[in-house]
Amino acid sequence: MGVVRARSRIRSSGRGSGVLPLLPFFLFTGFFLIWPVVAVTLRSFKGNKNEWTLANYRPILHSGPYFHAFIVSLKLSLITALIGSLLGAFFAYVIVKYARGKFGAVVDSISAVFANSGGVPLAFMFVAAFGTEGIVTKVLKSLGWDIYAGHFTIFSFTGVVMVYSFFQVPLMILVFKPAIAGLRREWEEASTNLGASAFTYWRRVGIPILTPSFVGAFFLLFAGGFSAYATARALTVGTVPLVPIIIGTLVDGNVISDQTNLGDSLAVGMIVVATIVMAGYIWAQRQAAKWRS
Amino acid sequence: MGTTASGEVEKLMKRFTLKWPLVITSSLLAFLIFIVPLYGAAVYSFKGNGGKGHSWVNYQWLIHQDGFYPSLLTSLKLAVLAAFLTLALMVPTMVYLNLKGQKYKSLVDFLCILPLIIPVVSLAIGAQVAMPKILQNSEYELVFFFVIIALPYTYRALDTSLQTVALKTLVEASRSLGASWTSTIMLVIVPAIRSGITGALFLTFALSIGEYTITSLLHWETFPTWTVVAAQQNILGAIAISVFSFVGAIALLSIIALLPKRNAQRVEVDE
Repeated sequence: MGVVRARSRIRSSGRGSGVLPLLPFFLFTGFFLIWPVVAVTLRSFKGNKNEWTLANYRPILHSGPYFHAFIVSLKLSLITALIGSLLGAFFAYVIVKYARGKFGAVVDSISAVFANSGGVPLAFMFVAAFGTEGIVTKVLKSLGWDIYAGHFTIFSFTGVVMVYSFFQVPLMILVFKPAIAGLRREWEEASTNLGASAFTYWRRVGIPILTPSFVGAFFLLFAGGFSAYATARALTVGTVPLVPIIIGTLVDGNVISDQTNLGDSLAVGMIVVATIVMAGYIWAQRQAAKWRS
Repeated sequence: MGTTASGEVEKLMKRFTLKWPLVITSSLLAFLIFIVPLYGAAVYSFKGNGGKGHSWVNYQWLIHQDGFYPSLLTSLKLAVLAAFLTLALMVPTMVYLNLKGQKYKSLVDFLCILPLIIPVVSLAIGAQVAMPKILQNSEYELVFFFVIIALPYTYRALDTSLQTVALKTLVEASRSLGASWTSTIMLVIVPAIRSGITGALFLTFALSIGEYTITSLLHWETFPTWTVVAAQQNILGAIAISVFSFVGAIALLSIIALLPKRNAQRVEVDE
């Protein structure tokens, strides 16, 4: 540890150089990333007549449809992040332990596709499988289980949970695999040599080391689920009131609010929630990094 | 002696009894969660007219639909532009950062993780507020935001591969032999970090071609937004597109993953 830290200090000191070559990058991110965020934040404090006001935030902070949307969004992210992180961690463990080489590489790319290119196609796939006329629905019905007997539809909250889990689980596999692969064989051997059982090894060594990575990954999944838009939009067309969906309908002019800049305050509200969650992620990453290098 | 031997046996037993239940459980779970919906959608997409029989009719419908080629072309065009803009912006930035700009590293690091923090929906609203009219009137504005959205991934891909090469040695060697900065980057560094560059290229391309959120909120038509509109007329056709794009992406990425990797080490030896 000491050596590593000393070396990085040498590297970082003395080698100071101009900022000029980094200017394109700073200008680009400044204009296309920072400026939009600043602009939307500023406008969210403007009223209909361009006066400064806090009125746009009132509907979010007091009970009503917009407050409710935040609750539904948070609930959805919490549930899918839990399902995703638990199942994904299990898969990641099995993959690291038993699937190496080429098969492992293929599993990696499949996870990458499932985790990232979800969006719109994912929604339609689930309609095909679990819709009222879906293949899986019919098979289950012929086996005597009518999933539509109760309140379930694929366009409901439960449906969105199912679809989101489909990309949360592989995302967890991608994010958590390095942490499991980073568990050194020596640690397990050392603890076995000291007389620990497999159970003791996991309780005293494995799980404590993996916890920060797990918590970090959970936060990442949470933020991803909270911000996701495409899948829910294509699947529900607004039947489940999620914050991103409501922003979308406001932007498209499908819903007219008497407050012109309400969409802005909702957008800023999302940034605030996501920032809190991602601060947790960054903190957990730092904790996890202590065990590496 | 006896106890250790039986301990060994016990340990072996544990290995064997644990491995197969784990593998079988996870395979079953993976089958239920991933294969069943994908398979269900695939079967559905081959349904014939009026839901009878099996045929390619939904795929044919798709190709003959108004807007199929234009929207696909738009998506391809924007994705290619985004991928190359990413390289033009990020390769020099990352090289300089790893070579001389260490003190800016944490700032760049933070800026590159920001797109993961800021919800894309919020970024889209911000873009509507902040971008000048001339940019908002052109579909090419999307290229810039695709680059931003891909930033967290391209940063990591390039950074990882830059860490594996002896960057400073390569640059010093090339410079002392009289090469200019441009040729040092193009002829020495780019070949050495080829794996990171291809990674960044494909990631940006893949993210751009599937991007829906910012595209639809800024009211542009690309392949994904066209799909959603088309789905309202023919859900079977939309499912066919979905299956096609999933299977295509998996096939493409698997092929890339299985290609033999030429790593940076070889380049160094060649020098």
